[in-house]
Amino acid sequence: MEKLTQEIRKTAKEILEKGQANVVIGWEKGSAWYISTPVFIDKAEDVERLVWDEYCVNNLAKYLLDYKTVEGKVAIFVKGCDARGVNRLIQDKQVDREKVLIVGLSCPGMKDEKKAKELGKNAEIPLVKKCQECRYPEPIIFDIFLGEKGKKEPAKGKDFSDIKAIEKMSSDEKYDFFSENYDRCLRCYACRNVCPACSCRECIFDQSKSGWLGKANNASNNMFFGITRALHVAGRCIECGECERVCPVNIPIMLLNKKIIQDIDTLFGDYDAGLDPEGKLPLGGFEYSDPEEFM
Amino acid sequence: MLVIQKTKIKEILDTLAKEYKVIVPAKDGDTSKFIPYGDNTEMLLEENVQLPPKDVFFPQTEKMYKFKSKKNTMEIENLPIEGGKQLIFGIRSCDMKSLDCLDQVFLTKGTDEFYKEKRDKTALIALSCTKPKETCFCTSMGLDPQKAVGADVQAYDLGDKIGFEAITEQGKKIIASIEGQLSEESVVVPKFGEFKINVDVEGVPEKLKGMFESPMWDDISRKCLNCGACTYVCPTCHCFDISQEVRGEDGVKYRCWDSCMFGEYTQMAGGHNPRPTKKERVRNRFMHKLNYFVERYNMLLCTGCGRCINVCPVNMDITAIIKQVKEAE
Amino acid sequence: MSINEVPQNWEPKILVFACNWCTYAGADLTGLGRLQYPPNIRILKVPCSGRVNPQFVVKAFQRGIDGVLVAGCHPGDCHYSTGNYFTRRRFLIMNRMMEYIGIEPQRMQNKWISAAEAPKFQQVITEVTEEIRALGPNRKLRDDQWKN
Repeated sequence: MEKLTQEIRKTAKEILEKGQANVVIGWEKGSAWYISTPVFIDKAEDVERLVWDEYCVNNLAKYLLDYKTVEGKVAIFVKGCDARGVNRLIQDKQVDREKVLIVGLSCPGMKDEKKAKELGKNAEIPLVKKCQECRYPEPIIFDIFLGEKGKKEPAKGKDFSDIKAIEKMSSDEKYDFFSENYDRCLRCYACRNVCPACSCRECIFDQSKSGWLGKANNASNNMFFGITRALHVAGRCIECGECERVCPVNIPIMLLNKKIIQDIDTLFGDYDAGLDPEGKLPLGGFEYSDPEEFM
Repeated sequence: MLVIQKTKIKEILDTLAKEYKVIVPAKDGDTSKFIPYGDNTEMLLEENVQLPPKDVFFPQTEKMYKFKSKKNTMEIENLPIEGGKQLIFGIRSCDMKSLDCLDQVFLTKGTDEFYKEKRDKTALIALSCTKPKETCFCTSMGLDPQKAVGADVQAYDLGDKIGFEAITEQGKKIIASIEGQLSEESVVVPKFGEFKINVDVEGVPEKLKGMFESPMWDDISRKCLNCGACTYVCPTCHCFDISQEVRGEDGVKYRCWDSCMFGEYTQMAGGHNPRPTKKERVRNRFMHKLNYFVERYNMLLCTGCGRCINVCPVNMDITAIIKQVKEAE
Repeated sequence: MSINEVPQNWEPKILVFACNWCTYAGADLTGLGRLQYPPNIRILKVPCSGRVNPQFVVKAFQRGIDGVLVAGCHPGDCHYSTGNYFTRRRFLIMNRMMEYIGIEPQRMQNKWISAAEAPKFQQVITEVTEEIRALGPNRKLRDDQWKN
């Protein structure tokens, strides 16, 4: 990865020097060995800050929204999941494809920073959950590709075993499980703010005056938030798992998103968000032949 | 020093529970926080918990009063402020200092009754730290991890035992009530381990005064997601919003935590927002912690607990920012 | 009061989202035809069943409703041609979601009821009411901290 880091810096330098983009979004080393964090480079002399290692876990796609109304091109480094995020934003017409220069990297799977913090430098650090389940480690959209492909064996199929386990519970057990989890929710909205599918300019949860959701924190309100958000990103969630990773109180948010993904697959046919920037969204349309249960 | 085996700590808490509602650091689902002590509480005495104890005194959502609106009149009814005598066991130096900060805000210039009621009725047994976490930096903020400010009793982590030392009059009474269960031993308090993060804050508040327009803020804030995680896990962040819930004629006014990281926080009725982008919001957060509060109350609004570093999705590290301020021209 | 206790004289409260063109007219016809159905429903008229956003449903449960019925034109009959096809997709997902988080499936139902189907309206409302009566009051998702 050291070699690839050098290549990344060289490419970023070229991009900036040739004026192919005004800013390059990548990763730099954070304040500990187990943290790599987003960085924005706009001067060629700063490219040394860029790194590529097994802790570049942040999905950078969301940052493209910050440049929506800014003149000029943006270059962005993408792993498999970032690429799907970029695709999603293009599909929703949030980002102009012409305005982004995408540099693809083959993802070897990122390591779990929380575990790394606990286990220390010498231990074997496991991959983050989202990377263990990842089926698209290769970027599916890019203008430039660096390094070699095939750094990680993609997961075979979608793993819905955790969803199936919950479905087997009784109604009361299910409710207890989710309400106990959402009771902890601080409503810090980190999950929403990191999500590449959450691209509304004005979010309903930022408008407490509208009366939909008060600011009071309780399990009921927090679940209203959780359910509404899950349904809002239904068919658009790219399974990058960032929501779950950033949650300061470790709520298993992906259990809601994956449930919807599972149901879309069984009801309307297999669908993976963020693969096709031109494709139709499963909940943005319909088929006359959809299952009929409401007769 | 009066000591007890760690394995027998529950006996002491049971005794204290007869007089106080005892609150302890414990596991709560997949996180940890200060919760009322009960038979099934999974106490955490090895390291500090992930959420601060501020909600014991300043709950995330707190009802203030009820009102009833009829045609031309409105009746207001005060609600009893919740809380009897309580005791927090196992609060660390950083969180004790945070109470000092909150006291400045809620008790010195005007009194916040809701806070005062709970603060006055809460006894505090602080527990010393022996092993700093990866993100701890309280010593850099001028604290002693083994001697908390404002505690009634200072407890010491002695490995397999816990030692107690009364500080205040109330502390002496607490110790007297559990003295029978403690034994007198001469002990050596183990030194605390090495801190991974060390930062020099000397001169930073003064320097920040002239840095409001610094281009540094553009750079720092770019990766910020503007979520409220840092402010909600911060033991000293104390901003709140007042709102209401209405059902027919009846309504309840309540206050709840708010975060300067949110756009709605400074949104004005007319539509103008004086902190329109994340740059202004990030700047405000760090200026408040390191400059405004120092100017107003002569103390930093950061206690070095490291919780914000721990939860930030994009590694906004307050210690790195302090260093950046020091290095800035 | 314990969570499972049913208060005396408890009657289920059911919210019906009825589309303006079919189900609402169907309800009208039910009344005109003097067909009796349980008085436990509150009808909320919407321009199209496609107008019903999932958050309307969650909000209803928050505010103390025991069951929700979303009803509209049969597929093919939508006044706006295809509105109800969107409803169908959305609620196939939504209903499963509600069941998944622990709301009994009887509490969140959808039915197609045309303007001519007064007997069906009567029958559906009766059935839904009885199903929810059997389940008892809903306390899940309810936001009742403002009561005291």
